[in-house]
Amino acid sequence: MPQQPDVRVIESDVLVVGGGMAGCFAAIKAREAGATVTLADKGTCGKAGQTPFAGGMLVFNEAWGDDLEAWLRQIEVYSDHLNRRDWTELCFRESFARFEDLCAWGVEFERDAAGQVVRGGVPLGPCKAVHMGVVKPPLKLRRQTERSGARIVDRTMVTGLLKDDDGAVCGAVGFPLDDEDAVVVFRAGAVVLAAGAGGLKVPGWPIGDLTHDGDAMAYRAGATITGKEFVDPHAGRGDWDAPSAFGRFGKGGDDGKPRFGPVVDAAGEEMPRTGTLFLDLEFAAHAGRAPFTMKLPEGDVPVVGGAASGMGVHKAEGVWPAGHDCSTQVPGLYAAGDALGAMQSGATYAAIGQSIANCAVTGARAGAAAAARAGEVRGGVASGRPAPGVPPAELDRALAELLTPARRRGGFGPRWATQVLQNTMLPYFVMFVKRGDRLQAALTTVEFLRDSVVPKLFARDRHELRLAHETRNMVLNSEMRLRASLFREESRGCHYREDFPRRDDDGWLAWVLLRERDGRMALGTEPVPDAWRPDPSVPYEERYPFRYPGE
Amino acid sequence: MAIEIIDAELCSGCGACVEACPMDVIRMGDGGDVAVIRYEADCMMCELCVIDCPEDAITVTPFAVSPPVRSWG
Repeated sequence: MPQQPDVRVIESDVLVVGGGMAGCFAAIKAREAGATVTLADKGTCGKAGQTPFAGGMLVFNEAWGDDLEAWLRQIEVYSDHLNRRDWTELCFRESFARFEDLCAWGVEFERDAAGQVVRGGVPLGPCKAVHMGVVKPPLKLRRQTERSGARIVDRTMVTGLLKDDDGAVCGAVGFPLDDEDAVVVFRAGAVVLAAGAGGLKVPGWPIGDLTHDGDAMAYRAGATITGKEFVDPHAGRGDWDAPSAFGRFGKGGDDGKPRFGPVVDAAGEEMPRTGTLFLDLEFAAHAGRAPFTMKLPEGDVPVVGGAASGMGVHKAEGVWPAGHDCSTQVPGLYAAGDALGAMQSGATYAAIGQSIANCAVTGARAGAAAAARAGEVRGGVASGRPAPGVPPAELDRALAELLTPARRRGGFGPRWATQVLQNTMLPYFVMFVKRGDRLQAALTTVEFLRDSVVPKLFARDRHELRLAHETRNMVLNSEMRLRASLFREESRGCHYREDFPRRDDDGWLAWVLLRERDGRMALGTEPVPDAWRPDPSVPYEERYPFRYPGE
Repeated sequence: MAIEIIDAELCSGCGACVEACPMDVIRMGDGGDVAVIRYEADCMMCELCVIDCPEDAITVTPFAVSPPVRSWG
């Protein structure tokens, strides 16, 4: 490995990091606003991230008879009143326009014999989603992104943001997987982070390529992060390590539709369902009532909980937005999709299809806003003026950070470090059934990994360099999760504390915000505005229909 | 275990599986004419390569092989 890498410079008004639903929308809308756009993905745009596995899109349309207040009520109740009403409403209102965009770009939705789109939901309330199937629709997004004139840079991992002397984001650095010598410097007037959320590469959910790269970069650049105490509780198939909650995706397999059946415990008793709060498996395991069986059309299959451990609730973790334009606390930096903690859903995921709808809406907003910002920076979109210069010391810092694991002659392998992290974080009694002393124990290990292992990660090639950066980001995300979970001394949604098994509206109708201060992770709260709080005169059991063990 | 086989007899070397793999498990072989399993340990068994392979040359099973945890590695 040569000490001086081959530095490639790519300049555009807007850099979009991530090529899923949010990233493609951001790129297309920024192009429509007249900006030049580069979209980078560490995999292949249209084939990576969660987009290939997501088929449902919530679409609200008053012309179809949808009642806004009733839809908002579903989200508020099943989010345990921790959604942001402004973002929930905004995403509802703009979902139909984004659905029309997708139709115009050739994405096909399931329709009945009369040609009407078929909508479905869950029996929690009126919210409904349309379905576009899986795997193929993101390729239509990619084609539209190409048609828009955006430049797609595949198989190139972005590792860090660049800031100018005023503290504004002016680009990013990354490296291609297929060239052992090259690094890429992206110069841009604005950056949109749409790199998804992530997990800990757990078996049972196809999110192994998602490692919170976006919000990790944003945090290191000074942005505020939220929602890390809430856990995604998707269940997986106990006799397979592979993704299973949507069935298998292989050829000759299934129709791609969700196939949930009743879950029974070892005694054959059907387990109670608690709405969207799929923590049942962990609760029952804690009581020694494992194993569990899911009754599927092909027969009984064993089930495990916590398939997506390390992931939060869709649209309820990530960068805390500074405005409805998806801006952040850092000038020039925007976030969209799962990387944006807009809290469109709250402490649990409250309606099918919220995720894709939000990706489309926030992607479009972030793209338009980033184009406008880049226009200001460069004196007008398409002015032809070069993107802002990157201070040399800042570029040196970012490239050193990028290349450190590749320049070491020995150290810890990223796979081993990830395995230690998984062993620390994945058992159900850490992040699913929480208690202060166990969270603290895990945090002690994660702090050791942060301080003593991550700085010594070693990469033999560009593939392992990607793994090293992913490991670093997963360790940071784990620290965020543990600190936020320790901080919130109550239970709410998919955050269950054995030592605080009740919701505490007086103390904790608030979002937990994390940011770096003097090299440490500082925690604070942002209270839910009075107008959005549930009526305290309504009895607790009516405010919150779902019970936790021990309350 | 995970991705097991890319059948070199069937593989046409089109590279669709390299593009499809979100985990960078598959690369083109040194000769550039067939795809090879390069980083098997990182397979997440999503089967996107199986779906995209026009020759049905790829076999994926839903089981990972995890090495035992060592004191360092």
